[in-house]
Amino acid sequence: MNVSWLVAQRELKERIKTRSFIGMAIAGPLLVLLLLYILFSVGENNKPHWNVLIVDPAGIMDNKILANTTGSISYDFANDYIQLKDFEKSKRFQKYDALLELNEKILSNKAAFLFYKEKPSFLFATSIQFHLERRLEEVMVGRFSKMTVQEFRGIKQPVSVAFRNLYDPKNESYSLSGWVGFFFGGVILLFILLFGMTILRSVSSEKSNRIVEVLLASVKPRQLMFGKIAGIGIAAVIQFVIWTALIWLGLSILRESLFPDMMNLQNWNIGEMTEKATSGMEEGMFRSKVYNDFVELVYSRIQFGDMLVFFLLFFIGGYIFYGTFFAALGATSGSENDGQQFVLPIMALLLIALWAGYYAMQNPLSQLTYILSFLPFTSPMVCMVKLAQGYSLGEGYQIYVSFTILALSSYATLRIAGRLYQNGILQFGHRLRLTQFVTWLKNG
Amino acid sequence: MLQLTSITKSYFQKIAVDDVSLTLNEGEIFGLLGPNGAGKTTLIRVINRIIEPEKGEIRYNGEIMKAKHLAEIGYLPEERGLYKTMTVYDHAVFLGRLRGMSKEEVNRSLNSWLEKFEITSWKNKRIEELSKGMAQKVQFICAVLHEPSLLILDEPFSGFDPVNVELIQNELKSMKKAGKTIMLSSHNMKSVEEICDRAALIHQSKKILEGSVLQLREDRKDGRYAVKFKGNMLAFTHALWTGFELLDKEEVSKDRFVAYVAMRGENNFQDLLKTLIGQIEIEAAWEVLPSMQQIFIETVTGKSI
Repeated sequence: MNVSWLVAQRELKERIKTRSFIGMAIAGPLLVLLLLYILFSVGENNKPHWNVLIVDPAGIMDNKILANTTGSISYDFANDYIQLKDFEKSKRFQKYDALLELNEKILSNKAAFLFYKEKPSFLFATSIQFHLERRLEEVMVGRFSKMTVQEFRGIKQPVSVAFRNLYDPKNESYSLSGWVGFFFGGVILLFILLFGMTILRSVSSEKSNRIVEVLLASVKPRQLMFGKIAGIGIAAVIQFVIWTALIWLGLSILRESLFPDMMNLQNWNIGEMTEKATSGMEEGMFRSKVYNDFVELVYSRIQFGDMLVFFLLFFIGGYIFYGTFFAALGATSGSENDGQQFVLPIMALLLIALWAGYYAMQNPLSQLTYILSFLPFTSPMVCMVKLAQGYSLGEGYQIYVSFTILALSSYATLRIAGRLYQNGILQFGHRLRLTQFVTWLKNG
Repeated sequence: MLQLTSITKSYFQKIAVDDVSLTLNEGEIFGLLGPNGAGKTTLIRVINRIIEPEKGEIRYNGEIMKAKHLAEIGYLPEERGLYKTMTVYDHAVFLGRLRGMSKEEVNRSLNSWLEKFEITSWKNKRIEELSKGMAQKVQFICAVLHEPSLLILDEPFSGFDPVNVELIQNELKSMKKAGKTIMLSSHNMKSVEEICDRAALIHQSKKILEGSVLQLREDRKDGRYAVKFKGNMLAFTHALWTGFELLDKEEVSKDRFVAYVAMRGENNFQDLLKTLIGQIEIEAAWEVLPSMQQIFIETVTGKSI
């Protein structure tokens, strides 16, 4: 049997029976689920009162809107066109937090735009959508039917409001899908850091307890390094599979128990909601439809098949790319505590990759994002964000180019780290310096 | 069995082994001696293919040494360790399989060694539960599990108590009887004298001595004889004729002594015995050969002791 595989098997067995591995496999998904639950249930309600200017040049609303039950939103009406620049800069609009633009086609296309100065809270977003929809129902019933409002509500379809940043009206940055990619990329970086440190500790400890010399009588240094990286990598993949299964299971339980209205089409029936006694309860029920948007994103809109396949590919590529640095560092350090100062640059690179993912999410079309998606240091993060947001038509090849560059770079770092590993693994008791790296690199 | 020809290895311009040639014959115990930093461990690492020499050639049973030969070599390094959280059995399986054994073969061999050392109860203990001496026995077992034809031991007795030193020595002698070849590097000169057939001394990266242990000692004898007797020292001194010189004496007990004597002129050991018989009660008499320790120190320091 291949000796690297024997080393990998030992590493794998050693890792998966540790308390930290089992703890991480349970605590990690629970933490993610808790965060999701908080995201679902608490939202981001941070502003107590909102002033909204409804721009309704066609006078469709007749300067009326459903009374606000909580008093947290005040509405004013304007019946002429207002340019966004004016709204942004004019003094008379300073008191408004958002502009709700209704055009004359709203009765047919059921679409309105809300331009905000600060990103609205989840509560505000759902409330204003609910108020607008109620008023439009009254208008439409009055204009187009002989039905009562109650009868109409029994058959109507929901209206869609696109929330846009006033300073980014083309909506380049606001993307829920991007956050999903950011989460996946973040998990890659988290796993690289955690399991990279495991490689470092494992190599250092084998070196300091001197078992390495026994092993080297049967295994070449490169085979030992590769087996170690592979074994710990497989442990990381198993950890991820456990995370995926538990998060998936947790989301299903959340859907079925904590949010029974999610994914339940019956609960989307606004007609039933309007039968409820108070409008406050109606608002609450209405918000459940917006939860469903998120669940729809999680369960339907994101291509998890593709995401998971590319996650694995970029994780393996990124893990080998960074993991080799950790292995080389462990092998070249003079003692178990030596070489800590060289961990910082690796961590800095991982932080840059995290920032690159956030930047890509905010600026998916920028030139820098394009470049960052090809750099092996940042591509595991950036490509996950881009993949979640969706590559434009004809640009799908880019992810394959990114992965090829990452794979080739990983191979190159494996070779370089192998040389450092070979030269450093039997050197003991020194203090690691940069000059030693250079010397050991030269001596292949 | 093993032939090293002109092996040279340096680390970043510092020569660790300089043009060393050695021959190990089948079925012998060969001692590799030398002060700290002489290059012994580097030479052993080269033999085990852990590091590549810059120059030189190693032949194993006449063939250029290759990776496949490593399965026939057992190696116990000086700086040895074990995985603390693994059990003795798991450890043996891991190291045995790296040497090409199957799990069943490892199990069979491990059981036999554990029985031989009367430590069968250790099999499922974790290494961290064992004392240092116990762990060293496990390390020795792991090195010989695959029944190697050539066993290379770097400081095999360090850390062992005298009982275990004896135990390991006896095992090495048994392995020699079974036709195995053993190379050991040690600072324990008494052990080297007792079990090694031949030895080489490495000093400052070069081989400066090689030969059979007995021959090395014979070559450096200085005509000293020892006489162990019962009586008094004054009688012994009076008995010595002018043809002998008393060099030193040791008091073994109240009326028992060991006297060290050198010959003068044409006198020999027979003449000495003839002179002493009747004057004292001789219990033993022998020619004093220099110890390996003496040879080691004198060769390395250049001073006689």
